[in-house]
Amino acid sequence: MIGKKKNKENEAVNYNEIPAHIRRRPYYIIAPGLIILIGIMIPFVTAIFLSFTNYSFRLPKWSFVGLRNWINMFTSKAFYHALSVTLRYGIFATAAEMLIGTGVALLLKKDTKYSRILKVLFTFPLMVAPAVAVLIWQLMTSNTVGVLEKFLNIFGIYNFPWAASHSTAMFTAIVIDAWVNTPFVILLVLAGIQSLPKSPFEAAAVDGASSWFTFKTLTFPMLKPFMYIALLFRLMAALQEFGIIYALTKGGPGDTLMNISLTGYINGFTYQKLASALPYLLVLWLLINKTAKFLVTRQRYLANQAAGK
Amino acid sequence: MNQQKQKGMIAILEPVGRNLGLTLFAMFALFPLIWMVICAFKSDAQMYNTVFRFTPTLENFQAVLVGSDYFRAFFQNLLVAGGAVIVTVIAGVPCAYALARYNFKKKEDVAFQILSFKFAPEIMVILPIFLIFQKIGIYDTYFGLIWVYQLITMPLLIWVVRGYFEDISVEVEQAAQLDGYTWYEVFFKTLIPLIKPGLVASALLAFIFAWNSFTFPLILSSSKVQTITITALRYIASDTVHYGQVAVASTIAVLPEVIVALFIQKHLVRGLSFGAVKG
Amino acid sequence: MKGKNLKRAFAIVISAAMVTGLAACGGGSGNSNNSSGSGSSSGSGSDQQTGSTGEFDWKAYEGTTIEIQMVQHTASEAMVTKLEEFEELTGIHVEYSITPESSYFDRVSTALASGSGSPDLFMSGAYQLWDYSSAGYVEDLNTYLDDASMISPDYDVADFVQSAINALKWSGVPGEAVGTGQQMGIPLAFEVYTMAYNTRAFAENGLEVPRTYDELLEVCDKLQKWNGENSYAVAVRGARDWGTIHPAYMSMYAAFGAKDFVLEGGKLVSAVNSPEAVEMTEFFVDMIKRGGSSSWAKYTWYDCGVDLGTGNAAIVMDADNNPVHQNWEGASEEAGNIAFAPLPVAKEGDPQISNYWTWSVAMNASSKNKGAAWYYIMYFTGKDFAKYATVEGNSLDPARTSVWESEEFQTLMKDQPGYIEAYEATIENTTILFTPQPYFFETTTEWAATLQDIVAGKYSSAQEGMDQLKKKMDKAVEDIGGL
Repeated sequence: MIGKKKNKENEAVNYNEIPAHIRRRPYYIIAPGLIILIGIMIPFVTAIFLSFTNYSFRLPKWSFVGLRNWINMFTSKAFYHALSVTLRYGIFATAAEMLIGTGVALLLKKDTKYSRILKVLFTFPLMVAPAVAVLIWQLMTSNTVGVLEKFLNIFGIYNFPWAASHSTAMFTAIVIDAWVNTPFVILLVLAGIQSLPKSPFEAAAVDGASSWFTFKTLTFPMLKPFMYIALLFRLMAALQEFGIIYALTKGGPGDTLMNISLTGYINGFTYQKLASALPYLLVLWLLINKTAKFLVTRQRYLANQAAGK
Repeated sequence: MNQQKQKGMIAILEPVGRNLGLTLFAMFALFPLIWMVICAFKSDAQMYNTVFRFTPTLENFQAVLVGSDYFRAFFQNLLVAGGAVIVTVIAGVPCAYALARYNFKKKEDVAFQILSFKFAPEIMVILPIFLIFQKIGIYDTYFGLIWVYQLITMPLLIWVVRGYFEDISVEVEQAAQLDGYTWYEVFFKTLIPLIKPGLVASALLAFIFAWNSFTFPLILSSSKVQTITITALRYIASDTVHYGQVAVASTIAVLPEVIVALFIQKHLVRGLSFGAVKG
Repeated sequence: MKGKNLKRAFAIVISAAMVTGLAACGGGSGNSNNSSGSGSSSGSGSDQQTGSTGEFDWKAYEGTTIEIQMVQHTASEAMVTKLEEFEELTGIHVEYSITPESSYFDRVSTALASGSGSPDLFMSGAYQLWDYSSAGYVEDLNTYLDDASMISPDYDVADFVQSAINALKWSGVPGEAVGTGQQMGIPLAFEVYTMAYNTRAFAENGLEVPRTYDELLEVCDKLQKWNGENSYAVAVRGARDWGTIHPAYMSMYAAFGAKDFVLEGGKLVSAVNSPEAVEMTEFFVDMIKRGGSSSWAKYTWYDCGVDLGTGNAAIVMDADNNPVHQNWEGASEEAGNIAFAPLPVAKEGDPQISNYWTWSVAMNASSKNKGAAWYYIMYFTGKDFAKYATVEGNSLDPARTSVWESEEFQTLMKDQPGYIEAYEATIENTTILFTPQPYFFETTTEWAATLQDIVAGKYSSAQEGMDQLKKKMDKAVEDIGGL
């Protein structure tokens, strides 16, 4: 492409030699995409604006209340509890999916008939709508009519409460989340594995290196950039998970699963106190934004490193 | 035990261990799906007390598919999700290209901001969007939903495709230009085929996310545009819960995604190494 | 340089977006409620099209299109099958959407709040209508009921089950009981709360159906695991939403003499930590521990029904029209073994108290097609449709006395031993037991969450839990009484 500006890999072209209609091209190209996305920026701005009001569906007129909603939130126990739930769920769910997903991807590395079939089949859980996935699992784990219950009965385990008990609800939610989303990690890591150059591995095999050694010094470092992408997407999604938890217990039992998304939704939609729910959601957005920024920067760095730059 | 014997043992154990691990995970991942499909063929009365022994029936299929608006919701969902992906591809690919090729200050920031839209809590934006949609009259329309779905579909596609563009060195384009191709021909004949794997893979993921979206259609549409995700849950009816019908509705809802995935499956895995490693 | 231009463009677009956004909000302030004021005086009728001049004519609104949002329910399924007939009769075209119950109110609340007039009609229960009418979204249907020219000749308002119509009348003053005031909706179906039980369980164990709370607790001990390791004695709802409090729990709560709110000097004060309330809650918790399901906290109405039908629960204390559907021939494993009885009371001879719920059709106060919408209501709450919905669509309990008295209904309910008797014993003292106020969703959801915590032992005592709940409820309603 006629380089308009200095491109890292190529020489600069004299800017003034380029005819005007070509100079403007990037704007035309980006324009449609930007218009669509900017159209969506408006709600963000609106949300921030409304968080400083007492906007609610049931009040005929709204008025500014300054920082009241924000102060109420920061001084409420519910907020810190929600933050704790959000972080715990996000971190544990992502960790589980990363571990299992990477492990399965490594197992799938060897190209056999079995692995080829499984590669395709393993994408299926991702395609089931989360609300339906929850329904399936609820039915399977039902203490009275569930298939899984009958299976556990064989081992003498009866009436495991799954989502109905304070102590096991988080675990259950994470199991379902892992069921739906591990395929995503598998796909990404597998793609990474398959794009790795073959020669280092062949050299290592010739030198008689053990599998573990190969993994530690070759596979893992080269896979890191891919794993970071998977980590990024999964962590960001898990921190704001709403659908699965709402369908599972609506935040219960008690307040065990009330993460920030749910607290915001229930306060804003079910209780119709929209303006006081917005600060929660804005904090969530900020949290995700900053974490994503950190991870992306790391990932770009690792990617450059792995390419030997 | 000497090295040779050890190596021999590992050589035998490895495939066994591998297949065992894979099978365990396959049981976890696939059993619920198999079971869901089985439920689609079970009558309500037999739903709970037998697992594999039952008399198959088509009554659930009849209840869901015959004389109901299931297919209407199905096709509307197809229109909305498909439309959203098409818009995303048409507007997103050029955007990805521009972000890959042109170096302007704060490029990474812009790219990151685009990505961050995907991470925005749906709940946060849905209400302002609802108010605005009502005001400008696109509530409960295809146009409105397709536009909103861009929040879900576009960031992923732009990021993946950008990585692919970055992987293509500029020399390729310059060579094509030297051969006398116009700018448009360069784009479509040379570049697009090179990014096809990434484009196809992210389009599929975008389609899946759009197809399964629940909160947006719940609030932003009502009678004119119905989606399959909400319709599938209606079979938790008001007399009792008809799991068999839910199973039918969900299984059929998954079919388009499965079909698309099967078609592009060889691209799918290769395609997701989206420029994670440059050069 | 290029970058600067782009940046400038960006900045301009963003500022434009902000300005538009603010304008959209600013404009919204006037529209987030409409001309109906703060709820007590709505439905001026001035923007309604009266297409008649004294004589009733079904075709008065021919050519209009109206929109209704429905919840997934046997009544809605029945309505959908009759839409064609309705259009033939009136020339009004109906667009509808059906939403599963768990998401329904989120959708309707948002739609009503926009003030756009869509949907024209929506289904609702009484509690939600307190919320909506306080915000001015609900049309007072007395306007039409009192207007002879808008009533079809065979409508027969007197035929309605009185409690059903009264449950939907409210003056709009928080704290004032239902029964007088605006007609917020017209009932399609209602339910009262009774006990359904498995006759086999009782026969095999030589037990009598419990009539008092003490007897109930004894039965809990004896029937736990009556049909295998996974079975238990009593099924009640337990999920974290308002639906857990309002059926059996609230009925027994009131039977213990407790109230949710009391009026003190014009302000609503929560009474959930009164001695009676705590006593009842302790009883309820005890019942669940001794005879309830191990996963009680996730139970919804259909989980209870399914457990009865599969022989896992010996008793269900819930809406009378819930377990019915497990008992039709061939519907479930235990079909034919199920019978009905009134809820237990403190001691024999005590009045049979039960809460009350009705699904009704209500009209959006900003609707632009009110006349046509009213015709819809008339048709689908009329006697003919009510009979059709019940007899052929299994929609229960019918809101029309004529249906209860009809032969078809009596024949239909022969399959449900004790149903009508339990209903008749209960209906006398049945009314909405909650104190009407617009923050119902918040107060009852927090109540359900607290109940879950108490059952799980998160509080040192029921008293402590209810004290905490009182604080939350008081905070939720604190701006009532200042209006």
